[in-house]
Amino acid sequence: MRHKPNRTGKIGIIRWHKFLTLLWLNYISFTPCTLLLFFLPPFCHSEHTHILSDTIKPPLLPPSPAAVKLGQEGFKKVCRTEEDSPCPFPGLASGVLEMRVKEGSKIRNLMGFAMARMQGEKTGSAGGGTVSGLRQVVFTGSGRAVTKTITCAEIMKRKVGCLHQMTKLRYKVVKEVWESNQGAASEMTVHRTVPSISILLSKDPLDPQEPGYQPPEAFSSLWEDRGGIDPATQTTFKRPFGPLPYTSLPRCKKLCLEQGDSVLPPN
Amino acid sequence: MTEPRNPGMSAIPQNNPTQTETSAQAVEMDPVEYTLRKRLPRKLPKRRNDVYVNMKTDFRAQLARCQKLLEGGGHREICVHGLGLAINRAINIALQLQASSQGALQLAANTSTVELIDDLEPEDPDEAGEPMTRTRNNSAIHIKVFYPVPQ
Repeated sequence: MRHKPNRTGKIGIIRWHKFLTLLWLNYISFTPCTLLLFFLPPFCHSEHTHILSDTIKPPLLPPSPAAVKLGQEGFKKVCRTEEDSPCPFPGLASGVLEMRVKEGSKIRNLMGFAMARMQGEKTGSAGGGTVSGLRQVVFTGSGRAVTKTITCAEIMKRKVGCLHQMTKLRYKVVKEVWESNQGAASEMTVHRTVPSISILLSKDPLDPQEPGYQPPEAFSSLWEDRGGIDPATQTTFKRPFGPLPYTSLPRCKKLCLEQGDSVLPPN
Repeated sequence: MTEPRNPGMSAIPQNNPTQTETSAQAVEMDPVEYTLRKRLPRKLPKRRNDVYVNMKTDFRAQLARCQKLLEGGGHREICVHGLGLAINRAINIALQLQASSQGALQLAANTSTVELIDDLEPEDPDEAGEPMTRTRNNSAIHIKVFYPVPQ
C-alpha cells in the first residue's frame, strides 16, 4: 500500500484545545512567563523570514535575535503596512480586479465576490441588462496568506474552467511598527521581507513563453512538459510510465480505495 | 498544530457529495468516537532534480540540498514542490536560491490541487461504527528553478 496512517487527529485536537485554555488562563493572570508564551507563536513559523532578511537587505533589517526579543520584552505590534510594489504583470489593463488575500480573509467571501464579477451578474437597478463579466482577475497574498491565495485561484480555475494562469513569486517588504507597553512611549519600526504570490487568471490567452504560465487544465501535462524542457534530464531520468497513471486518471482516488482495505460507503 | 485547521478544508464543494452520501450514517455517528488518520499524499514523480519540501526537515538543510543540486549536481533546473503549509517554505527556498544567484536563476511557478484521503476508524470495534474515508483537497505549488537559456 502506498499510504500509512501518520497522525491521529482526535488526540491532536484535544491537546490543542487544552493548550489554548491554558494559554488563555495564563494570559489573564499576567505572569511575565506567560506573556512570553503568548508572544512566541507568531515568531515560531517565520524563522525563514528572519534568515532571509539578513541576506537580502542587510542595512534595513535588524538581525533575527532582536526581532524575536521584541515580543518578549513587552512590545506590541500596532501597525503593519505593506510597501507598494509595482504590478508583477507588465502590460496589464488598469481595470483588472485585484483580490488582496489576507491572513484572516474568508474564502467564501473572497470567492463570492470574485466569482460574481467573473461570471457576470444581472444588474437589475442600473441597466436592466446582463454584464458579461470580467476577463481577468489577480489574486495576491503574502506571508501566511499565500496558501489561501493559491486555494482561491484553484477553486476559481475549477469553477470557471478554461482559465489561463500566470504565477509570479517575489519578496515583499512589510513595515511593522512595534510599541512598548511598559509605560514609556517608545516605538520601533521593523522592515521585514515576506514571500508573496500573485496569480493572474485570464479568460484570454497569455504569453506561453513567459515563466510561470500555466495553460487551462494543465495538471496532467505538467510533468511531461517539464521533462521536455531540459533534454539532458529527460534522457537520463525519463519515466515514461511512472507518473501517467496517477496524473491523467481523475478517478485515481477510487483506485486507491480499492487497493487499500478501507471501505467507502456505497453509492 | 495542523490538526484543528484541516477539517476546514472539507468546505470545498467537491467533498459535499461524499458527505451527503454518508449523512444517513452520520446521523447516529458521534464524531468523537472516530479516530482521524491522514494518509500520506499520493505519490508524485521523483526525478533526480525534484525536491519535495516538508515542514519537518530543517529549513537550511533543504535549502542547502537545492543549492547542491544546482551547483554541484550539474542540473540546469530543479523542481521544488510544496503542499499545504509547506507552500510557504517552498516559495521561500525558491526565492532564496534566486537571490543568492544574483539574478542568474529564474522561477516558474505552477499551482495545482492535490486530493488527500482521510481514514475514519471507529475507536471501539464493538460498536456498530464502520470505517469510513473522506476526501479533501489541498493546494500545492511546483516551482521550477532554472538557468534561462541564452538567446
